[in-house]
Amino acid sequence: MPASSETITLSGDLHARPAGALAVAAARFAAAVSVTAGAKTADAKSVLGVMGLGATSGQEVTVAADGPDAEEAVAALIAILSAATRVGG
Amino acid sequence: MSQVAPRVGIVLVSHSARLAEGAADLASQVSGGTVRVLAAGGTGDGGLGTSAEKIAEAVAGAEAGAGVLVLPDLGSAVLTVRAMLEDQSGGRVVLADAPFVEGAVAATVTAAAGADLKAVARAAEEAWHARKL
Repeated sequence: MPASSETITLSGDLHARPAGALAVAAARFAAAVSVTAGAKTADAKSVLGVMGLGATSGQEVTVAADGPDAEEAVAALIAILSAATRVGG
Repeated sequence: MSQVAPRVGIVLVSHSARLAEGAADLASQVSGGTVRVLAAGGTGDGGLGTSAEKIAEAVAGAEAGAGVLVLPDLGSAVLTVRAMLEDQSGGRVVLADAPFVEGAVAATVTAAAGADLKAVARAAEEAWHARKL
């Protein structure tokens, strides 16, 4: 199964609303998707897990996916992280 | 898919109207506002407690065609919900055993992603394992 990953530097803190948007988007994909910030990794489909990362502005966050639509999943989630952490929430 | 399938609805039952409304607002905003999240808090005369009538109204309002998950805040709200659910049939309304705020957020986000009632209930109950620190 194809695997894919990409790292982004957050331009804002990963608050509740972007975490929700991330989890809703991740659920659309068949691939297993994880989000890693520092020493913590969460299932991207679990909003509580993503919130529990406590990822903050300036921190590097890696989205990794494994499955048939891994590449699309990573692209979609990186786009959300990039846009959503700009406004906070 | 050009047509959006109906989402599972969420009903938050609290002894406090303000607690139920606040949790509903939070869950709704975190999930992007595509799910019916209704608050059923307090008694009919505005006091602390639970009202079967308010819960029934909220359940009816939350039903969009995919079933409804009911989350109580404290144990004794369960009694009111159970009594009310006895009149229901067909498994369209499920009572979740979950932490109130975390369960509400996890369930609503899962519903927003288009999951079925069983998966939404599971997401709420898995919230017991989510650590904050």
